[in-house]
Amino acid sequence: MTLPRALAIAGFFLVVVIGLAVEWAARRPHSRIPTLADVCGFVMRYRIGRLPVGRIAMFGFWWWLGWHFLAR
Amino acid sequence: MDQHSQITAEAPRLWARPMVLVPVFVLISLVGATFPSFSLGANVLVLAAGGTLFWLGLSTRLPRRRSPRRLPAAAGWWLVPAVVLSLVELVNFALGSTYDHPTLSKLADPWLVGYPGRALAYFGWLMAYWGLVRR
Repeated sequence: MTLPRALAIAGFFLVVVIGLAVEWAARRPHSRIPTLADVCGFVMRYRIGRLPVGRIAMFGFWWWLGWHFLAR
Repeated sequence: MDQHSQITAEAPRLWARPMVLVPVFVLISLVGATFPSFSLGANVLVLAAGGTLFWLGLSTRLPRRRSPRRLPAAAGWWLVPAVVLSLVELVNFALGSTYDHPTLSKLADPWLVGYPGRALAYFGWLMAYWGLVRR
């Protein structure tokens, strides 16, 4: 394994570690940090008029992600 | 008043309960994993499953869990992993997404070639999608 590849993998691993740490901190009693699910829920509440822009964006992103990884 | 946001997850329909949905998602995952990437079957399955969940998520057929109306400033902590992920992904993408500079999808490819990895990825994708639909 080359050094640049190891650094890239370490970078992605760091993202997972930070994400888990923030989620763990959010689930502690009396934490002021919202969980990832709450952040997603907040984003999905966003509407412009009657159009649920947040939901469309989130579902669209997740749909695309599945297509990108599993079908492309 | 936002009518959709007031719907809560008190009584999900029978078909929307985990004892029904989880086996359905397992079945879809086991079937979906038989289709290799770039195949017509994989495209049809992802488009059909994703489209159905997209439609369900926008409809009012399902009760939703409560979501916060406001986020505290501490929510900014979530920007840390988001920014690091964006930086790592963008740098590797800009450097060509090669073996030495792999993007996330490049790293995932070897895991998604085999049947067990694909089945697990399908299942995780569907379960997370369902979690979003119920929000």
